Amino acid sequence: MNTHNSGSGRIEVRDVGVMFESRGAAVIAVDGVSRTVEPGEFVSRIGPSGCGKSTLLNIVAGFVQPTSGETLLDGKLISRPGSDRGVVFQQYSLFPWLTVRKNVEFGLKMQGVPGSKRETSARTLLGLAGLLSFENHYPDQLSGGMKQRVGIVRALATSPQVLLMDEPFGALDAQTRVVMQEILTNIWQKFRLSVLFVTHDIDESIFLSDKIFVMTARPGRIKAEIQVNLPRPRKPEMTTTPEFVELTQRLRALIREESLSAMGGELKDGGLGGFGMEVGPSGVGAVM
Amino acid sequence: MAAVIPLGASAAGAPAGAAPPPPAAADLAAATAAARARAWMWARRRRAAGSGLLWALSIVGLLAFWYVCTRYRLEFYMRFTNVPTPADVLQKLVEVNHSTKFITNVWISVRRILTGFGIAILLAVPLGVLIGRYRTVRDLLMPAAEILRPIPAIAWVPMSIMLWPTNEVSIVFITFLGSFFPILLNTVHGVTTLDPVLVRAARCLGASEAQLFRAVILPGVMPQIFTGLAVGIGVAWVSLIAAEMISGQFGVGYFTWEAYSLVNYAEIALGMITIGMLGLVCSGVIRVVGNLVMPWRAHSAGGNR
Repeated sequence: MNTHNSGSGRIEVRDVGVMFESRGAAVIAVDGVSRTVEPGEFVSRIGPSGCGKSTLLNIVAGFVQPTSGETLLDGKLISRPGSDRGVVFQQYSLFPWLTVRKNVEFGLKMQGVPGSKRETSARTLLGLAGLLSFENHYPDQLSGGMKQRVGIVRALATSPQVLLMDEPFGALDAQTRVVMQEILTNIWQKFRLSVLFVTHDIDESIFLSDKIFVMTARPGRIKAEIQVNLPRPRKPEMTTTPEFVELTQRLRALIREESLSAMGGELKDGGLGGFGMEVGPSGVGAVM
Repeated sequence: MAAVIPLGASAAGAPAGAAPPPPAAADLAAATAAARARAWMWARRRRAAGSGLLWALSIVGLLAFWYVCTRYRLEFYMRFTNVPTPADVLQKLVEVNHSTKFITNVWISVRRILTGFGIAILLAVPLGVLIGRYRTVRDLLMPAAEILRPIPAIAWVPMSIMLWPTNEVSIVFITFLGSFFPILLNTVHGVTTLDPVLVRAARCLGASEAQLFRAVILPGVMPQIFTGLAVGIGVAWVSLIAAEMISGQFGVGYFTWEAYSLVNYAEIALGMITIGMLGLVCSGVIRVVGNLVMPWRAHSAGGNR
């Protein structure tokens, strides 16, 4: 476990483009994205739905091959999934036939780590996430928030250099999500590994990240890069500070432009004005 | 906004603002809660007992119907004139056990089921997994399987007698055929409907293709495999009895058919009941083994509790 960062976990995305076919036509999902995530950095990608933010994460995870360009982890070309990159999915992805602890041990078992050693590491990690008393439960006995916590712990068990998270709290209710964000920022503080976090929740991205990439609507490009200089460790009270609120407003404005253009031209021409409705991918986040 | 919650505290924790109630009130609350819990458990037990009563009623009702119809030799549109009474059959059961002939017949049928069904499991499960996982294998094998599948196992009896050197092997073959396709198709379906996120998760946790089969695909399709086994064992019995009646020497199916030829009414009924009991035991064994192999199913919303 890298409790201090040894300088590994650098993700380089070089001029990556992704195309796919839809109804006989080529669609550009991601277009010429180049960015680097530094070791130990917490980076979020945010943008309107369908902007290719998950596609980029899937490329780094090794599930999808880019049509052009390349991605590197610590200088090595990424071509397939591997345990050096932990992934937390939006859907619950625990193996229902394994207990919580066996789920956490899974990656170590695949590496051939002996049973007693696996058990010790799994129990340590579960203790950190407050789940030790549930180690012998099956996933179907857990709440959504607990399942995702086990998912995070499972991804950390093989000591990856980076953690890739694809809207991991998207399926949770608003209250649970806030608690999960806090737990995640605490875990990250301990492990100091690079995190690439995909979300459409503005508050979430600010609360967690060092840096936020705002994506354009399709084709996905990087529209803006926002540095978050809020002090660490992050606390929920910070969400009401002027700095936080200012960042929220900046991001909301940026994303609103993209959402409108994604929804089509007729809305862009002021068609929304008369309704006074709040359009934004942040949903509940905009009200909070 | 939420209060500061330490690492790992669940959202469902005690509300921070609520003051603890005075001890006396707390005791009282605990006592009423315990009483409510006891009452609830009693209500549950009563429901369970009521359910057991209905079970008994169902079986007793069936026996009573049989008894009344045969005791009074009822004739309406159906004719119970020649049907043996429960007592006749019970007496026959004692009588046939004077020699080992009957029990040998039962054992031979069971042996045929175990062999045919066992071979079907050994072939259908791996094939089903491969067909479900690899497109090439699917395209190569499924068209042939789809052509052979609609042919009922009983229709294979004449062909089977031609194909295999002994009668015994051809009966086992029929039994095998009957259970092969339900197991195969359920396994294929299980693999193709396995949540792809589980495969992805295993991949990025470092699982190789071989490890994926052992650690993810096989346990993941286990529920569908057992559905296939439950359907397959039923079809296996149907096929076996038919094959024994047509071409057999020995076996419960043969015993029943022979009784018919010899106009031994009590033995016909005994044969039928024996077949029913054997089928019941086989399904029960599969259910018990399934619950042992898949302990997690007891907790899932869709599982059989």
